[in-house]
Amino acid sequence: MSEPEVKPEVMRISWGPQHPMSGQTRILIDVDGEVVRRIIADIGFTHRGIEKILENRTFIQGIVPIERMVMADTANIALGYVQAVEEALGIEVPERAKWIRSLICEMGRINSHLYAFGLQVECTGYFPAVFLWTTVDREVLLDLFEKLTGARWSYSFFIPGGVRADLPEGFRDEVKRAVKYLRRRFQDYWDAMVENPLFEMRNRGVGVLSREDAIRLGATGPVLRGSGVDMDVRKDEPYAAYGDLDFKVITEKEGDCLARLKVRFHEIEQSLNIMEQIADEIPGGPVRTKVPLFPRSKPGVEALSRVETSRGELGVHIFTDGGLKPYRVKINSPTLRNMYVFERLAELDRVLVADLPVVLYSIDPWYLDCDR
Amino acid sequence: MDVVTLIWLYILGLVRWLLKEAPLQVINFIRSLPTLIPELLKWLWDFIWFNFKPLAQIIVIPGLAFILLFAMIAVWFERKFLARAMLRIGPYYCGKRSGWLQVIADFLKLFFKEFVIPDDAEKALFLAAPVLLPTIPALAITLIPFDSNWVLFDAGGLSLPVFLAIAGLAPVIPIFAGWAANNKYTIIGSFRTAYLYVSGEIPLVICAAASALLAGSLDLVEIVEAQRPLWFAIPQFIGFLVFFVGLILEAERTPFDVPTAETELVIGWRTEFSGVLFGFTMMAEYVSFLGWTLLFIVLYLGGYLGPSLLGVPLYDHIFWMLLKLAVVVVIVVLIRTVYPRLRLDQTLRLGWNYLMPLSLLNLFLTLILKWGLMI
Repeated sequence: MSEPEVKPEVMRISWGPQHPMSGQTRILIDVDGEVVRRIIADIGFTHRGIEKILENRTFIQGIVPIERMVMADTANIALGYVQAVEEALGIEVPERAKWIRSLICEMGRINSHLYAFGLQVECTGYFPAVFLWTTVDREVLLDLFEKLTGARWSYSFFIPGGVRADLPEGFRDEVKRAVKYLRRRFQDYWDAMVENPLFEMRNRGVGVLSREDAIRLGATGPVLRGSGVDMDVRKDEPYAAYGDLDFKVITEKEGDCLARLKVRFHEIEQSLNIMEQIADEIPGGPVRTKVPLFPRSKPGVEALSRVETSRGELGVHIFTDGGLKPYRVKINSPTLRNMYVFERLAELDRVLVADLPVVLYSIDPWYLDCDR
Repeated sequence: MDVVTLIWLYILGLVRWLLKEAPLQVINFIRSLPTLIPELLKWLWDFIWFNFKPLAQIIVIPGLAFILLFAMIAVWFERKFLARAMLRIGPYYCGKRSGWLQVIADFLKLFFKEFVIPDDAEKALFLAAPVLLPTIPALAITLIPFDSNWVLFDAGGLSLPVFLAIAGLAPVIPIFAGWAANNKYTIIGSFRTAYLYVSGEIPLVICAAASALLAGSLDLVEIVEAQRPLWFAIPQFIGFLVFFVGLILEAERTPFDVPTAETELVIGWRTEFSGVLFGFTMMAEYVSFLGWTLLFIVLYLGGYLGPSLLGVPLYDHIFWMLLKLAVVVVIVVLIRTVYPRLRLDQTLRLGWNYLMPLSLLNLFLTLILKWGLMI
């Protein structure tokens, strides 16, 4: 990346990758005393060429590399790809498989939001306990994943034509038990962290993104909904079983870091409701239709799928040329769009050096998602 | 005679002395050894015998052993307490019981680690800063009375101002350290330290002045003795609270650990220190915390006085001082588990907008109280 020139009145700091909170990316900041004048995100620092890798894999092999985009939220990312493949190849999915997909996606969303919540709380300077608590609470979900898919972390569970396996015996009761446990824990978090006056002081009115700016800059996911825009692909273009499920789209008006945190927090509650609904009302039937191991595509087909991942809207665009592999896969990732918003926030609002990690983690960045 | 001749003469004289006089003197010295050694031992014994108390004070309390032991126990307790909250295994269970082995393991790790001096650093200052850091608060601790006649350095009725003067030197060293390391994070961190000390120290000094006014003396022993009927925490309640907040601020502990904010500035002005140098800066934090806490106890919690039951004070002893120290340390560590870090501007606003007017109000109320007592 070519570095823009430094003005004489500011000091340029390379914020990362050698920084406790930066993660594996590099962000350049121009600081004038305590005030951040300019943020330059080094987008492409962790580029791994996932789009190119997908061109060299068959349709089903492609599920594994695309999951590596966001490890905390593999279900939603893989669903975006699998749905695009199904559309390109014209594969029908049974009803029960769609419900199981929704269940796993919501569990993945909670998993990812827990991670984001823990990191943002840690950024405000809590000693790292909250992050570790959320990590421990995640175990409940990981155990469920293990029981269902055989893997705790990157479960390539969705395949074109359905899901790999049916729910194991007694799984629905375990889901309900996990929901009950997590509800109790989230009440604790709300009381201890979000209602703590000092925590509010650090988050309220920090990194404010107005409704107009959020739309203009193309923010997505909780960042967009935190600025008061009612947009969620699950409601707008229902996929999987979301058309039959009853949930609300959470929005907050303020558009600051606290609003984004609250959006995530309430979204977790909605996800828990969805998990309960699915456990109660899941229809019977088969979980997959037969699809050949190496499905051959028709030439010149274009397929686009939109999925609401935990970070925002993911678009997967597949072109086929009639071979065993996709001709081109274009991924529009949510973190990339939010990183542009993050870069502009220093101009839109006064961001201090102390606010920088809070603002960064309030958009919930996942650099591998951003750079693909 | 010119200079060269003089130097030659001097060298010649030296050689002559070495050849002729020096052997004789060595032989004389060796001959007199049998009588000299018992004399030396006797002198040493007398020195220890007659200066037993000051020596014990220097070595045990409030000297080296006390400070080092306090730092170790405070680190151990804090880590164990936080580990309980953080669901961590190491500092909580390590060493079969109570995680004592973790402190020793960390100490050994820090001590034997290679320390890196950055190429662009101002080497002398960079190496001197970590050594000076714990020294200044440790000097201030010598003024604290641990009993009515247990004061290491008797400043002759001026111990409170001398304490404040010595403690006021403390922020200079982090600023030098941050500048010497020649790193952007350390520079920001050290300037944050400067801001923080200015906003925190003035209310502290005003509160201390109010206490001295109520006691009618600047001597810490007399301030403690004046608390025999009633600890100053009650007549000086506002000052008590302001001083408590101020001491957390001065010791740079959560929620005011702005200069060493890990999530923002790596670790502030300490970023470039590694190995044993970092260990010294860690110790300095605890020593400075110890100094201000001891002053807090002396000014408001009756120092070495025992709690008085029905007007009859219990036996005065250094034990009470240590007990009160433990209580305050536990409360401050508890605060760390509950609160996030404030921003620099919020900390300064707290210092100038709340602590400062409150401390002035406290001084004013003390004046009225004193005036009322005199009438």
